[in-house]
Amino acid sequence: MSLHDVAVLGVGMVRFGAYKGGKTLTELARSAGFGALEDAGVNLGDVGEAYVGYMQAPIMSAVKIMKEFGLTGLPVTHVENASATGSVTFRDAAWSVASGRSRIAMALGFEAMTLMAARTQSAGRGIGRDTIDSVILPAAFFALWAMRRMHERGTKPKHFAQIAAKNWNYGAKNPFAHRQSDHVVTPEEVLAAQMVSDPLTTMMACPIDDGAACAILGTVEEAKRLHPDRPVIRVRAAALQSERYTPGHTFLGPVVGPASMTHTTAQEAYEAAGLGPEDMDLAFCHDAFANEELEYYELLGFCAEGEGEKLIEEGQTGPGGRIPFNTDGGLIARGHPGGPTGLAQIHELVLQLRGRAGARQVEGARAGLAHLVGGGSVCAINILQRDS
Amino acid sequence: MSEAKTRVPIEAGFFTVPEDREEPPRLLATRCNACSEVFFPRRLVCAKCLSQDVSETEVGPRGTLYTWTFVHFPMFGSSNPNMTRYGVGQVDLPEGPRVQGVLSGKRDEFRIGMEMELELETLRENQAGDEIVIFRFRPTEARAS
Repeated sequence: MSLHDVAVLGVGMVRFGAYKGGKTLTELARSAGFGALEDAGVNLGDVGEAYVGYMQAPIMSAVKIMKEFGLTGLPVTHVENASATGSVTFRDAAWSVASGRSRIAMALGFEAMTLMAARTQSAGRGIGRDTIDSVILPAAFFALWAMRRMHERGTKPKHFAQIAAKNWNYGAKNPFAHRQSDHVVTPEEVLAAQMVSDPLTTMMACPIDDGAACAILGTVEEAKRLHPDRPVIRVRAAALQSERYTPGHTFLGPVVGPASMTHTTAQEAYEAAGLGPEDMDLAFCHDAFANEELEYYELLGFCAEGEGEKLIEEGQTGPGGRIPFNTDGGLIARGHPGGPTGLAQIHELVLQLRGRAGARQVEGARAGLAHLVGGGSVCAINILQRDS
Repeated sequence: MSEAKTRVPIEAGFFTVPEDREEPPRLLATRCNACSEVFFPRRLVCAKCLSQDVSETEVGPRGTLYTWTFVHFPMFGSSNPNMTRYGVGQVDLPEGPRVQGVLSGKRDEFRIGMEMELELETLRENQAGDEIVIFRFRPTEARAS
């Protein structure tokens, strides 16, 4: 058994959105989990191991939520890696199967960011802000990237706005997306939105979300037995790295970490997959802020350094382009609750590889990559490929 | 503000708080005795060569602005009614470290490559009436004008 003998058996998710307590965490997790189990054609009795991602988890949250699906004695592990939490549950479940520890494994992520936002606001300014790195708005970190790139490469805010508009317009075609605009979003509209941290506007940033998503993984044998009618979707890579020391490293701030982490993690993932960026038909990335997506075009190897602007100007990362990015709307439009975000990427990637992504289908998609960074300090990349 | 008030760092171990309010603070850093790399904040293991043979040192108060942004929301943890928007930047110190922190100044004042200088900003007062302070950088030329 190797990682390449692991397949995705089923996926499920709840539309991301600001439910503000209208759906409890348990309800969210249950809908996504049962959705994925049903899609796979199994129940918890068939699952040998579970990894549960929840960023703001109180003690024992993972086991508690798993009891909603049954009490079977299976090992349950809680995973937290900030924005990359869901991606890491997927990686761990894939390696559980690859190692032979289980034949079928479950990766479940859920989160309610609106409840956290409400708690922070009611606490008031100055309360609980007693550490040196808690005064700065986390969004500023990625704005610092944007300002430096504009200085070095002459990038314009309109490039960031074009990326954001693309993702908003993808979101409008995705029933699971939080933001579903009733009109075509233009770069001008994105630029005119309220400024958060120069040069990033609210429409270049992800919203505050609640949601849940789940993936069931298993051996290729199980995939063929359960759904002989479906193409086998194999895990080709499941890579995870943390910060390595780089020149100009920053250690202090609400978000830190070098951008080069995406490059080194991508190298590891491509090598493990035996595939390169030229083999990918679509990709997903951590577009919490639109300028990040531009950086990742280069760091993930889809164009040379300094050519990201050209890629977006030519529409190569949108509908009909060479490498469509974030076809479900990305973090900007599909949403970004935290725990389940990486599994929502997997959900969309699997629909695309099955040829079931509706109006946003990438024609003939066979392989794709899902990337997230967490807290700036970790990077996770999962690569999936459909058997021809 | 009264001169009698004591200034207390928001968190100990990161920067000096000089008694003389005219004197700029310095950052508490670590130098690796094996490879000479300098780190802020302080650490017990060199992040570059993993040596545990390290010494405490102070760095600053001057450096060069590597990048900056301007946040259009009030600063967390500040009770200053004027702190409704603020700059954030990364400053390269000549000793080596790149430091992320709050900037003092207006949005149109900042230029990548300009010289910056450390100062202390009062965020709020604690129950004892002490000023809670944090380090920030301001354009050096702003002081002269």
